[in-house]
Amino acid sequence: MRSARTAAATSPESAPQLAPETAVIDVSELPTVVFGSRAPLWWGLVGMIAIESTMFALLLVTYFYLRGNATVWPPHGVEAHFPLRLANLGVLLLSVWPMAKVAGAASRKDLHSMRRWLIFGTVLGLIVLGVRLALFADMSFRWNSHAYGSVVWTILGLHTTHLVAASVENLLFVVLLFVGPIERKHLLDLRLNSLYWYFVVISWVVLFAVIYLDPGFLEVMR
Amino acid sequence: MSAATFDATLEQEQKTLERTWAQPSGLVGFFTNIDHKTIGLRYVVTAFVFFLFGGIEALAMRLQLARPESHLLNPDLYNQVFTVHGSTMMFLFAVPVMEGMGIYLVPLMVGTRNVAFPRLNAFGYWSYLIGGLLLYSSFFLNTGPDAGWFAYVPLAGPEYSPGKRVDVWAQMITFTEFSALVVSIELIVTTFKLRAPGMSLNRMPLFVWSMLVTAFMILFAMPAIMLASLILAMDRQVATHFFNPGEGGDVILWQHLFWFFGHPEVYIIFIPALGMISSILPTFTRRPVFGYLAMVLSLVATGFIGFGLWVHHMFATGLPQLGQSFFTAASIMIAIPSGVQVSCWLATLWGRRPRLATPVLFVLGFFAIFVAGGLTGVMLAAVPFNLQVHDTFFVVAHFHYVLIGGAVFPLLGGIHFWFPKATGRRMSEALGKVSFWLLFAGFNLTFFPMHILGLHGMPRRVYTYPAESGWASLNLLATIGAFILGLGVLVFLVNVVRSLRQGEVAGEDPWEGSPGLEWSISSPPPPYNYLYIPTVAGRYALWDRRPDQPVVTGLSRTRREILVTGTLDAEPDHRDILPNPTVWPLLLALASGVGFIGAIFTPWGILWGAVAAAIALIGWFWPRGDLQRIHFEEQP
Repeated sequence: MRSARTAAATSPESAPQLAPETAVIDVSELPTVVFGSRAPLWWGLVGMIAIESTMFALLLVTYFYLRGNATVWPPHGVEAHFPLRLANLGVLLLSVWPMAKVAGAASRKDLHSMRRWLIFGTVLGLIVLGVRLALFADMSFRWNSHAYGSVVWTILGLHTTHLVAASVENLLFVVLLFVGPIERKHLLDLRLNSLYWYFVVISWVVLFAVIYLDPGFLEVMR
Repeated sequence: MSAATFDATLEQEQKTLERTWAQPSGLVGFFTNIDHKTIGLRYVVTAFVFFLFGGIEALAMRLQLARPESHLLNPDLYNQVFTVHGSTMMFLFAVPVMEGMGIYLVPLMVGTRNVAFPRLNAFGYWSYLIGGLLLYSSFFLNTGPDAGWFAYVPLAGPEYSPGKRVDVWAQMITFTEFSALVVSIELIVTTFKLRAPGMSLNRMPLFVWSMLVTAFMILFAMPAIMLASLILAMDRQVATHFFNPGEGGDVILWQHLFWFFGHPEVYIIFIPALGMISSILPTFTRRPVFGYLAMVLSLVATGFIGFGLWVHHMFATGLPQLGQSFFTAASIMIAIPSGVQVSCWLATLWGRRPRLATPVLFVLGFFAIFVAGGLTGVMLAAVPFNLQVHDTFFVVAHFHYVLIGGAVFPLLGGIHFWFPKATGRRMSEALGKVSFWLLFAGFNLTFFPMHILGLHGMPRRVYTYPAESGWASLNLLATIGAFILGLGVLVFLVNVVRSLRQGEVAGEDPWEGSPGLEWSISSPPPPYNYLYIPTVAGRYALWDRRPDQPVVTGLSRTRREILVTGTLDAEPDHRDILPNPTVWPLLLALASGVGFIGAIFTPWGILWGAVAAAIALIGWFWPRGDLQRIHFEEQP
């Protein structure tokens, strides 16, 4: 209870009762935009990340379930441009740096810094996306080739959808930062945009490890 | 300040607040409303409309089964009817109606003005509505799903279910899961961040706890069915092989994914009902619920154990012994928290003679029916018995005892209890009692014989049975019971409609002496809920109120400000500004409708929907620039 003072107010009963002596807590001095777990929007985003993480986790369960049934996993003739994918993962990991800088700049209300780092992060994201899409066209198997193909294409497709959505969001924020009007709540939005980006990156690290560090797959590579 | 000026100031404040939070009116207003009370009521009313449809389907099935070798419904129509009945009751009635009660009540109970994300909330409702309309328009076009409400593959796969029926089911799932996930986020964030000052976690009303546990269960259970229905649709549409054994897929995978959602689903329906009982009993016994801590821990334990039961639906699939033992143990274990709660309620009632108002009758009816359903549940947890009655009417009897007894009875009790709050009028006690007894008698008459039919070996999901089976008389009894049950529902509806017009006008608290915050404001509540955000000094806000209990001032009256408080102790933290009414949630729901319904016909539908949804989202988040613009040295 921050500052109790007596003033004109009623008891919570809606029939307005005359009780000028009712104690009050005045909240008019409290801020309207805060960061981190104090903000409802942070909880909303964390909830969404929990939902999507569960989805990815179940997809991995599906992967291992199908793998457990198979005698040969992955099936013959699977090739994945491993070095290029690894390099692309590196670029994706690198993008965490500028996105973290954006979050820091948003806390400081530093417009120039926000613009600069967000453009950098967005460009890195778009490079990753471009390489990913190009690799789709060049995959040696398809979703309807076999169960392995189905689950790997679904994992790739679902994660790429996340990349697309997060990149569109990045682009919109770039436009916002140059065109405006920038409202105070956008600072929180920018920080959460970075948080979501970390999720997109981390989830790919896990998914990548499962698909491409699969002992069966490494065997094929050799 | 003199009394007269004080009055005038107060009236002025009330008017300003009313203008700021006013619900939009007219046709446009209908589509742009984002108030939690309106959205909550829409959920409840829509769910009851679907409940009636589901009930009519149930009666059709009972008519068909009333005598052997009947040809009232042909086998194909019967398959559609039981599939649509099950899907309706689970996805379009039971889950949404509980969500609606939560969306309506939780913000009132925690003392705030709306849910945390009002536009998202409206989007959830529109999604649900589109899903329901999709299912029923398909059903009326003879394209109703017909592979059971759990759509087991290979029956539901491309080979054995050509046509669009199962695709309709899969997309209906998508819409209703969207809505459930939205509600879960709303409830979690509203509960964690928008509680009135003083309402620390250990002072939250038990109904709020139950909705919080439910919301977390939705969060982790629903993604399973999203994924399952997605890959089922892909197997059917673009020839993936998840469930195709010929190419390395597996049909049992479907059952795992489905029941990893499906079993928690039962608790998602049941746990809110527990919260309703815990809200009704203190009012009528005039004492706190016995064992608050035990109650909360039981709810949380149920939430966790609920995720460890799914395989008991799959005992007939030939699982390893160890797995069977584990899931048997878990299935028996979940009886413990349920037993703790029933014991706590009985202790609450101990030595009291509560007035047998209609809500209390429904609670007592719950005890009788739910305990019976729980007992057959413990029986079914044992593998040998389970195998004996698997896929028989015994299982049908069991889950109707648990779902109707465990959820619908408390729900109807809750509806009678909160009806005056939501409408400003009381329901008729006489009609309420008549409907209760009709429902109670009709229910037992319908479903008790099914235990015996199941033990005699009558299988589920068969459209008829031979005369020499000897099942005719019990089936006829069940059909008679079903019509008595239907009559009970009819009396309930008459009571609702009649009470809306002629019911006795309810004051703030028609039950006199209720402890919850929601009973401190007018009925129906004003659009802003609380003129001043209240503060709370105990678990039963109105009972524990101190003479000098403070209220919160300093929130803007000219824009939609709410108070955000700390997650654990609910100390005032900051002010948040909620959006004004808007049509974008509806447009986003329509865009996703285009995508997912389009996907039934062509995979490109997803792309159209994605583009439309992106446009809708950009419109939704378009900066208005009228709020708290930042002044940088060079604002763009």
